[in-house]
Amino acid sequence: MIGQTKKPLREILEFLEGKERVVIWGCGGCASVFGTGGRREVRQLAEALSQHGKEVVAAVGVPPGEFTCHAPSLWERLKGYKEELKACQAVVVLACGDGLQVLQETLEEGFGLSRPVYPGVNTQGLMGGGPVSFQEKCRQCGECLLGEFAGICPLTRCPKGLLNGPCGGAKDGKCEVDRGLDCAWLSIYQRLKVLGKLEGLTRAPLFKDYAKEKRPRSLKVGQEG
Amino acid sequence: MRLDRLFEAGKFVVTVEVEPPKGTRVSEMLERAESLRGLVDAINVTDQQSSVMRLGSLASCHLLKERGIEPVFQLTCRDRNRIALQSDLLSAWALGIENVLCLTGDHVSLGDHPQAKPVFDLDSVSLLWTARRLKEGYDLAGNPLQGSPDFCLGAVVTPEADPLEPQILKMERKIRAGAQFFQTQAVYDPKAYERFTREIEGLKAPILVGIIPLKSAKMARFMNENIAGIKVPDGVIAEMERAKTREERRRKSAEICARIVQAVRPHCQGIHLMPMGWEDLVPEILELAGINP
Repeated sequence: MIGQTKKPLREILEFLEGKERVVIWGCGGCASVFGTGGRREVRQLAEALSQHGKEVVAAVGVPPGEFTCHAPSLWERLKGYKEELKACQAVVVLACGDGLQVLQETLEEGFGLSRPVYPGVNTQGLMGGGPVSFQEKCRQCGECLLGEFAGICPLTRCPKGLLNGPCGGAKDGKCEVDRGLDCAWLSIYQRLKVLGKLEGLTRAPLFKDYAKEKRPRSLKVGQEG
Repeated sequence: MRLDRLFEAGKFVVTVEVEPPKGTRVSEMLERAESLRGLVDAINVTDQQSSVMRLGSLASCHLLKERGIEPVFQLTCRDRNRIALQSDLLSAWALGIENVLCLTGDHVSLGDHPQAKPVFDLDSVSLLWTARRLKEGYDLAGNPLQGSPDFCLGAVVTPEADPLEPQILKMERKIRAGAQFFQTQAVYDPKAYERFTREIEGLKAPILVGIIPLKSAKMARFMNENIAGIKVPDGVIAEMERAKTREERRRKSAEICARIVQAVRPHCQGIHLMPMGWEDLVPEILELAGINP
């Protein structure tokens, strides 16, 4: 899921300086799991903005399972709020950076509406876990190497992203960059040992192909590569 | 003379680490290196150690080479992508620098510019492999070079890593990638080092044992608590504790270093001293250890 944190209200109020009529738009996907843009958070932000004298012309809590970053479902829902969106001076989006940008593009291209669109969350990236704690395990490199590392990604879970073995910095199994972090390479070594695949650790070095990470990326559903 | 030739000749090699200045005043660094001329085989120049921004290792090595002092160019992957690393290797060779120590480098968050973007496009093993490709006359993309370098390539190993096996596997991988010699994390317990050498019997590469003179018992305790792979035995800490004045501590520190050097000497091909400001103690350590230039 796309991990995210709430932006401080102060920052959102700064965005909205001089803009009185506001639409708040949530997300029924990751933002509702992370407690940043579900129906409850949309309602809470609407109350807070009203207390600061803003007129919330629409507070759109999106039902669980409906992703704001998914253009077709967003388009359907936006159609029901055309008037409110026309009337507002700004939109605050409680969704990840993808959700916000898809919404902004749909407003412009679908309705011809140019409205300032502001983020109400900070997007932290792909994470796994839950229900309360999530950890980043995959950095979406575009060339999955997990088969080499017993299912543990060193590119993501080692701060240096080492591909060819541990550094000398782990102490008591903890990373020197963050003593609260388990050394990913120690876990990889232990799992490869259990699986009888340690010989992989003495092979010719792996090189990451960063061409696979060239941004911005785009793809079609079902595409291979 | 380059290190591989010295190893081949059976010389017990002594290298000393020197840190470039924070700024452009190179006189003190050069004086420290000059004071070791004739006593040591090479001066090993750090590449912004601990991720603290400093004058470059490449420029420092060039200044040493100009003065007829053999340098070891430390090169880390922290600040350069594979294009810059290869380019700096070619530059080093063009400037007459023949020894390169290939390292991953510390993470930027440990240094004085924690906001910097950490690069780590390559790591120590893939950097060694890359340097070897250059020696073979090709860059990493497979393009032929117009003139190729012939480096003596070094790498590091931690003999008291815990667990040790992944460290040894990585050492083997480094040799396969092109490492021709190793220098170690600081050793204070010769018996622990000897155990390590028994574990790596099948690996044929000369080793320079790392020696850091202790400045105080406090420093020893700090390293034990904070630096991975460094284990100063209690007895050694107690010895430092008993030395009260600065002079006594320096003398004791030199004695301890010399004792370690003598004990590990049958099991290694040389030593790498990291005096961290106490360069003036190096002659005494070498004399006490019975190492003649």
